[in-house]
Amino acid sequence: MTQDATRRDLSKIRNFSIIAHIDHGKSTLADRIIQVCGGLTDRELKEQVLDSMELERERGITIKAQSVTLDYHAKDGHIYQLNFIDTPGHVDFSYEVSRSLYACEGALLVVDAAQGVEAQSVANCYTAIEQNLEVLPVLNKMDLPQADPEKVAHEIEEIIGLDAHDAVQVSAKSGLNIDLLLERLVRDIPPPKGDREGPLQALIIDSWFDNYQGVVSLVRLFDGTLKKGDRMHMKSTGRDWEVNDIGFFTPKQTHTGILRAGEVGYVIAGIKDIHGAPVGDTITHTKTRDVARLPGFQKVKPQVYAGMFPVSSDDYEDFRDALEKLALNDASLDYVPENSDALGFGFRVGFLGTLHMEIIQERLEREYNIELLTTAPTVNYELAMDNGDITYISNPSKLPDMGNVNEMREPIVRATILVPQEFVGNVISECVNRRGNQLDMQVLGSQMQLVYELPMAEVVMDFFDRLKSISRGYASLDYSFERFEAAKLVRLDILINGDRVDALALIIHRDHAHSRGRILVEKMKELIPRQMFDVAVQAAIGGHVVARSTVKALRKNVTAKCYGGDVSRKKKLLEKQKQGKKRMKQVGQVEIPQEAFLAVLKVND
Amino acid sequence: MILPSIALYIHVPWCIKKCPYCDFNSHQADAGAGMDEAAYIDALIDDFKADAPMLQGRAISAVFIGGGTPSLFSDRGYARLFEALRANAAFDDHAEITMEANPGTAERRYLEGYREAGINRLSLGVQSLDETALRILGRIHGREEALSAFAHARSAGFDNINIDLMHGLPGQTVASAMDDLKTAEALGPEHLSWYQLTLEPNTAFYSRPPDLPDEDTLVDIQESGHRWLESVGYARYEISAYARGGRQSRHNLNYWTFGDYLGIGAGAHGKITHRGHDGELTVSRYWKTRQPEAYLRRRVDPRGFLAGQRTIDAEELPLEFLMNALRLVEGVPSSLWYERTGLSSEQLQAHLLPARQRGLLSSEGSRIQVNDKGLLFLNDVLALCDIA
Repeated sequence: MTQDATRRDLSKIRNFSIIAHIDHGKSTLADRIIQVCGGLTDRELKEQVLDSMELERERGITIKAQSVTLDYHAKDGHIYQLNFIDTPGHVDFSYEVSRSLYACEGALLVVDAAQGVEAQSVANCYTAIEQNLEVLPVLNKMDLPQADPEKVAHEIEEIIGLDAHDAVQVSAKSGLNIDLLLERLVRDIPPPKGDREGPLQALIIDSWFDNYQGVVSLVRLFDGTLKKGDRMHMKSTGRDWEVNDIGFFTPKQTHTGILRAGEVGYVIAGIKDIHGAPVGDTITHTKTRDVARLPGFQKVKPQVYAGMFPVSSDDYEDFRDALEKLALNDASLDYVPENSDALGFGFRVGFLGTLHMEIIQERLEREYNIELLTTAPTVNYELAMDNGDITYISNPSKLPDMGNVNEMREPIVRATILVPQEFVGNVISECVNRRGNQLDMQVLGSQMQLVYELPMAEVVMDFFDRLKSISRGYASLDYSFERFEAAKLVRLDILINGDRVDALALIIHRDHAHSRGRILVEKMKELIPRQMFDVAVQAAIGGHVVARSTVKALRKNVTAKCYGGDVSRKKKLLEKQKQGKKRMKQVGQVEIPQEAFLAVLKVND
Repeated sequence: MILPSIALYIHVPWCIKKCPYCDFNSHQADAGAGMDEAAYIDALIDDFKADAPMLQGRAISAVFIGGGTPSLFSDRGYARLFEALRANAAFDDHAEITMEANPGTAERRYLEGYREAGINRLSLGVQSLDETALRILGRIHGREEALSAFAHARSAGFDNINIDLMHGLPGQTVASAMDDLKTAEALGPEHLSWYQLTLEPNTAFYSRPPDLPDEDTLVDIQESGHRWLESVGYARYEISAYARGGRQSRHNLNYWTFGDYLGIGAGAHGKITHRGHDGELTVSRYWKTRQPEAYLRRRVDPRGFLAGQRTIDAEELPLEFLMNALRLVEGVPSSLWYERTGLSSEQLQAHLLPARQRGLLSSEGSRIQVNDKGLLFLNDVLALCDIA
């Protein structure tokens, strides 16, 4: 089968992505398509094949781009090679989407026929249209009784401006109309163009490090042909490598020995360092090293920063090694050493968003077995100094003496929110609370589209969760960085028993400082367990205390009866207590649990 | 180098009814675990004979018959048991021999016989003297039965009686707790084990917790009760143990001073110290088969009654020692550390340092001892000692 596949000419190839909001059924649809094309036997077809990372599967989200090559026997009697490049669906990972789209000629816009269009899909759909992709609207979840295809088709036309009167109505769950969808895909998505005899131009869509194979790169060939044994040239690094293995995923890794223009597949060339095959780079042959570079991708910049500290200082080395390994597969992960008075040695890590942060923390703990404390996330601020220098800080405790700062600027995002009309009031007041500035509001189908400028700091915290909870889960959000803007910002310090705890400091708007300070100390009071002595929690701005509360001391902590010769139960009790303390960090004499460091994320609850 | 003193624990695994707070190895006598006193006494004798070499020549200083409900067995049963024990081991001249008795089963006709069999101390599981509390605790006896059981024990000649009494019971207030305590005190026991009800895993209370008093009430009860007990002449010598006239429980003191003990009977645990030729000290623990029927079957099993054993390694030893020793109000002399664990005094100081820095230890340099605050926060003290 695979040998057949490699012989397909360009007109029998279709490269496509699926654009869909989380839970609109992308993974289920992908599995269906794989099943119909016989990519895996039923026994092999585990649920949601493409979300292969354990965490992706658990959370039901896609984090990294993946691809699968399938043979489709179309009604016209021809066999088509379908290259499906998966895209992540969460707002934190939108940059990955544009990368995936770059490798495609078309995209399926999958919309839940019961729920309607969501902001994330709109944004990704526009990216696809800008890249000249053919976008095919697909209405999914037709098996649900609430499905309203006419209404949703109308919404697609109104919000995105895409003709949807003829949209395929499918149910990935029941298998309804999957054949029709594939026929439509072959009919409407154009085949790739390219010269297979010309000089090689291949784009690296993604690279990851595999412990057994070294760096594996997912590539799209635009011109030329690449074979096993070829000497290839990496345009950005200028280095040459020999192709050891080449092929595609069916979704099993399948060696074909060759990839040709128009195809998507993997290349392995003995590269040991992920930086040797950077995402967005162009591969050509050593003999055609002067061929032009394809336009690559913008380097992603972290949007959110947090300090991460091993609970046990003995884990510091392991932690550093683990971050290094994770960064191999995650170009967006950025980290520099940080030293905190309260938490010791750790790293300040940059993330794409708070979900990215949670995922990294979970992977570090689960895959590398390192207990971590993470400080509250913060954005990157721009400081214009009196001497004309511009500096950036992403760590509140490192804020320099304000006497030398001429202006402090915070990042502003442009946020687009789609929400059913009945929740618009809630969303507007939430945006106002977060210092939002409305740019636009219009009716789109049965939804409202709100466009706001918001301080990024207000968005990255818990805005998305909050939007969901005030709209019964219906609101959707997309945002992107716009600019830095001067703002009246102050540092809010938290003092525990009179000592400033650097890892708890926040940068906050002056108008919010008092109220947030009060809520924060109350939250901390709930989160810090009672100890042998009173614990005073204070919020202060520039040495001036704005709020305080006290965690009353426990009056005793002793096990009443310890009888008998069986010591195991006493030991179990002590062990249990020890486990409970593991997630706490000793700051001075006070034990502070992880949750307290993230209390600021909860102030809006 | 001498070996620690040694005591003997004897477990009787049956009860009329399992109490909802109890996580000890006890089984309802009618629920298939058919109680066969004679067979069990035979088994205990065999069990003891097998363990006797571990005495390594030491005389037994104290015996404790616990349960379950040991008072379900007859006086003649115990007479036969002790006759056999004495034939196989030496006992101290004034060895303390305690038996636990449930006020609901402490039959008058047996009490004198128990005394004659050599049992010289009785521990009455009264738990409460409040009828409602007794019902919630699932006890098989009421207030009056508890009071009369005590009177019968006295008239049978027991001049050393402990009363087990709980506090922090469902619905309890400071006033009702004090009522319980005063009623018990009026009986004039030599010893009071006055301890707070805790919900242990694998109990009915753990899965369906009763409505317990709030934390402040619990501490108020403990403080009021403690003050009052001391004022009427009961000296606290351990977290939950009070004695008058110096009648401390010698058997329990042996645990708290990290002494050795043999354990016979279903599920009983033992602790034994050995010294090698070079003086090297090894502490090990062992435990017997837990299920009563299985235990009885082991009489004819070449494996004997043993279910498992392990050596306590040097890393565990410090905490095991301190977990016991620090429960004593007076602590223990520092010299006991080396005698019991064979570890250096530098190691001792390293373990104690964090708690000392927190001001939780007494300033008495020659003793291993917590101060008043340390006694209230013993769980924290032990966590601080656990420096491994």
